[in-house]
Amino acid sequence: MLDSDNAAFIQTGVSISLAASGGDRLPSMSRGLGCKLVDGGRQVAVFIKPSQSAELLDNIRRSSRVANVFSLPSSNRTLQLKGLDARIQPFEVADLPIIKAHIADFVAEVLPLGLPEEVVRTLFAYTVDDLVMVVYTPVAAFSQTPGPKAGEALDAKP
Amino acid sequence: MSIRLETIRECFEGIIPGHIATSDTEGTPNLAYLSQVQFVDNTHVALSYQFFNRTRQNILADSPVRLLLTSHLTAAQYRLTLKYLRTETAGPLFEQMRAKLAGIASHTGMAGVFQLLGSDIYRILAIEQVAGPTIAPPPPPLNYLTALRRATNRLAGCTNLEGLLETAVDCLVDEFGIEQLMLLMHDEGRGRLYTLASHGYPVSGIGSEIPVGAGVIGICARERCPIRIGFMTSEYAYGRSVRASIAADGHGDALESAIPLPGLPEAASQMAVPITAAGRLLGVLYVESLADLHFGYDEEDALVAFAALLGLAMLHHQQADDFADEPAASEEDSPPTGGPPLAVRHFAANDSIFLDDDYLIKGVAGAILWVLLSDFAERRRTSFTNKGLRVDPRIRLPGVSDNLEARLVLLQRRLEERDTGIRLSKTGRGRFSLAVNRPLTLLES
Repeated sequence: MLDSDNAAFIQTGVSISLAASGGDRLPSMSRGLGCKLVDGGRQVAVFIKPSQSAELLDNIRRSSRVANVFSLPSSNRTLQLKGLDARIQPFEVADLPIIKAHIADFVAEVLPLGLPEEVVRTLFAYTVDDLVMVVYTPVAAFSQTPGPKAGEALDAKP
Repeated sequence: MSIRLETIRECFEGIIPGHIATSDTEGTPNLAYLSQVQFVDNTHVALSYQFFNRTRQNILADSPVRLLLTSHLTAAQYRLTLKYLRTETAGPLFEQMRAKLAGIASHTGMAGVFQLLGSDIYRILAIEQVAGPTIAPPPPPLNYLTALRRATNRLAGCTNLEGLLETAVDCLVDEFGIEQLMLLMHDEGRGRLYTLASHGYPVSGIGSEIPVGAGVIGICARERCPIRIGFMTSEYAYGRSVRASIAADGHGDALESAIPLPGLPEAASQMAVPITAAGRLLGVLYVESLADLHFGYDEEDALVAFAALLGLAMLHHQQADDFADEPAASEEDSPPTGGPPLAVRHFAANDSIFLDDDYLIKGVAGAILWVLLSDFAERRRTSFTNKGLRVDPRIRLPGVSDNLEARLVLLQRRLEERDTGIRLSKTGRGRFSLAVNRPLTLLES
């Protein structure tokens, strides 16, 4: 589902948001602290803080359906992925460098836009015991970059 | 609802974009980023509808809505649960959002892409603060409640319109820390606003005009609601707006064009607040700054409250001056005049006045000056009353709504700026005197 360009894109200093809906259709969402590709690039794993995401994680356990948006503040390039098989996995300490690199990339991305670094670092503050990984297979991808093509489905490319 | 919406409005300015989540009828979630959230009141917000996308399809299919908003001051995050109510495609809220969006679009390189199709209004069902660390917000630039209290006291001490305008400008500068501002009065009959006072510009621009409906100031006047923009946008720059408006209505000749409007050509932040009283638009208060996002919701609240006070006081002084009793006729001897004669030329077609070939003013203020100077030339008359002017057939005032007292202040200030030896000064409620210290040659064209 993800071509190499989009696969690289979601691992840059993008803003990440993950959502899942409850039985009453009420969705909940949380910020992601970075992501990685697993299963040979076929799956996306997003790092989430459970302390901020009880409702989101309950919804994922219930429905396994997620919407995941990646947006680069400096260009407004935005990509939404959807998955039907999301599951929650424990965080592996070996992935800490990914989170650290993601925060550093995001800080570098938004500082020129005028956001104070302290605010960004506070927003992404975490502890290792308060992290989980939500893993899913993207089955649909949509460009949400503002403009006439916003919302268009992206064809799967090898 | 434990968190009041009015206390987290900094999250709405789009500095950190909000996220909106919806579901389709099957329960499939959808996420999108928001360019703006508009505060309506403590239980309602409006979101911009710009594209017919999945979010909109879901909303129209009655999806519950969640927002994730983030404060750029404290890093606090809030989840809001919303219910869609309706969409507005015209009117004050729509224009407020359209103007703000134009600034955001131009700031984010999306000019021409972001276009407001509608203002979607939502009821807020719940606000929850997301767990996580926050930092203390920076102290506000000033305490607006204190500024308002002090300004209220100062306005209450004014005894006439002229003093009121002067005090209002001083209050905005001293108490509210505003560095660039204009105060414009509404000319109801002509659908124009004319500058009566300004501060912080190389030239005052007193007498300059802008049509109702043009730019931030004109839209504020038309919709009678505050218009606030946080980033520079050519779409709302007044030079362009005024030109476009003149071209559109074909009345360019009627607009005051000899006196340029003051203003910062590179203004990033602009805010216009209507001055109304008793259901009438009296004028517009306009402030601007070179800094991005210089005016927020708190500044808007403070200036709206200030403008409400100012409007009531203006209306009061206007009426008091207009209906003051005629004074006992005691014509003072005017002092002798000397120096080279001043040529005063009056063009009856538009009542424009030129002093020694230099343009001074036109319209009602021009007609008034011509009458005053004619009476002075004929019988050395120097004392006048508002009431007398109002019934003078030579002036043809359109009615009480024409703000005669404001016209006199405009005339007085234009004369002061030109310093040509003609002066007007208040001598009492509804009374003023003319002083001329040069011989005059009146020329009717």
